Parts: sequence; structure tokens; C-alpha cells
Amino acid sequence: MKLAEHLGFFLLLALVIVTLSAFYSEPEDGPALRSLPRRYGVFVGACALVAAVMLVLAQLFVDVS
Amino acid sequence: MVETRPHERRGDPNVAVLLSWFLPGAGHLYLGMFVPGLLLFLGLEGLYALGWWLADGRTFEYLDPELQSPFATLLTPEAGNLGAMLAHLKLSGFGVGEPLPFAPHAVLGYLCSALSGSLNLLACAHAHVAARTRRRTGALHPVLALLAAWAVPGLGHWLQGRRLRGVIVAVLLLGLFVAGTLLAEGTNLSRERHFYYWSGQFLLGLPSLGAELLWGDVRMTTEVPHVDVGLLYASMAGLLNVLAWLDVFGVAERRYFEAGVVESSGTVGA
Repeated sequence: MKLAEHLGFFLLLALVIVTLSAFYSEPEDGPALRSLPRRYGVFVGACALVAAVMLVLAQLFVDVS
Repeated sequence: MVETRPHERRGDPNVAVLLSWFLPGAGHLYLGMFVPGLLLFLGLEGLYALGWWLADGRTFEYLDPELQSPFATLLTPEAGNLGAMLAHLKLSGFGVGEPLPFAPHAVLGYLCSALSGSLNLLACAHAHVAARTRRRTGALHPVLALLAAWAVPGLGHWLQGRRLRGVIVAVLLLGLFVAGTLLAEGTNLSRERHFYYWSGQFLLGLPSLGAELLWGDVRMTTEVPHVDVGLLYASMAGLLNVLAWLDVFGVAERRYFEAGVVESSGTVGA
């Protein structure tokens, strides 16, 4: 699968996860919807960080190529 | 959780929930609610027994051999009716270990037993609310809201008057489930193929149940390129619906108990 497809699938799923968690955290619609861009950015950024660490570890320790 | 005064309570809510979890209706019997307790016992145990009978007791044979242990079954919807699930394991276990054809109504059977487990969780929630108050208020009962949220994503929010949120939840979760089903080309609608992903997907309620009954017998003739993403999407739709349930139940519970306090104050004032 192409990298762009992976990213597209991830970004779509991330949107649903972040929206539902925002609704769970905020009982009012207004604050929940306004918090979405920040939450989305934090979620995607944190996932990117985890992916980067995993890639570095894979290169350092488990790359058998 | 909304706290109530001791004299308003029927009993300990935690005891009521634990009893209901182990034996449907037992929590209500503990609270002195004999008719609901008996009806829940007969209805939910009967549904599980029907499922067990239709599937010839072989539902857990779908688990991969290396995963077949009592703890593995705790991640299934049947675990919501713990006593029945333990009896199921005791009576039928994981099969005889030989490949035999499944019963003709095995799918309907495991849907019944899974439904029994899911509905018993609603009965547990009802026992918890009933233990904390004897009053009935005019507000929407939290378990009714929860039932709606379980049945159709977003419906619980809609019934609470939070319609924008209900529409967004419905569009996102149903959209995710449909996208997942399309990407997996319908192969996600099979507990036999994907036991644990199916357990997550079942939490979406009636949409997943209906889709499986209508399109659950897809045959794989070629490789499905995006099956992994499809399974993940459909399963996540069900798991994220749990967040929607908790949101609905929390708000419904607060409104229900606050309405009770207002009505009670009004009665005293009069």
C-alpha cells in the first residue's frame, strides 16, 4: 500500500477518534467543536512522534535487511 | 456518578450490578423488584440458551486454537452475561478439536448469545440506577437513553435533545463502519473469520447486527487488498460507540436525578 493511502486512512480514523473523545470530554457542543483543531493537531503530532521513535528503533535494532 | 441519600436507596448499587452481571435479574431481586427481576432472568437467560442451542454450543470454537482459554472469552459480548458464559464454557468448552460442520443456524445462534450479553449490561445499568433511587422522574430514564445509544449511534443524543451531536456521532460512526465494510469487501461481517474484530464491531449495535444478517455470508474468492484497514475501521466504529454511550448515560443520569430532586422539593413545598 502506498504511503499516501496509509496517511489518508490514518487521518480519517484520527478525525473520528478525536471528535468522539472531544464529545466525551466536553458536555457542551460549542467548546467540544472549538477544541477539535487543537485536539486533532496534538493527536496527529503525538502519533507522528511515536511512529518516528518506532522507525528509529527499527533502523537501529531490528532492521535485518 | 450522582450520589443519593441513604434513605432514598433500595440497596447497594455495586452489589446490585455484580449480582446482575453474574445472573440476569438477580440484582433486581436483591433490590426487591421481583417482577422485573424474573422477566430479565427469563428473557436474557432464555436468549442465551436459544443462542447456545442454535449454535450447538460451538460459538467459542471460532477462536484460534492458541487463543482458546477462559480469559479470551472475557473479550466477547457474551461476557456481559457472565454466569451464562461460564455455564457455556463448562458445558461446551471449545469443541472436540476436530473439524466438523457448523450448525445451519450458527450465525443466528451466536448473535442471540452476544445480544444477551449486551442487553444484560443494560440490565446492570438499570439495577445501578434503581438501587440509588426509589423515585421515578419525568426525565428520560438513563437506561432508555443508553438503549437508544446502543441500538443506533447518535439516537441517544437525539432523544436527549442534543441533536447536532447526535447527527455528528451518527455520521462519523456509521460512516466509519460503512467505509470499513466496503474496504473489507464485507469479510468483516463474520465472527468466524475475525473473532475479536467482530467483538468490537458488535458494539455498534443494530447497524452491525443488521448488516451481518443481510450480507454476512460473503465468500472470499480473491485477495482483499484493504482488509486490514477495513477491519480496523469497523471495529473502531463499535469501540468508539462506547464513548458515545458513556456521554449519553452521564448526561441522562444527571438530568434524571436532578429532575427527581426538583420534583421532590416541589412536593415538600406544596
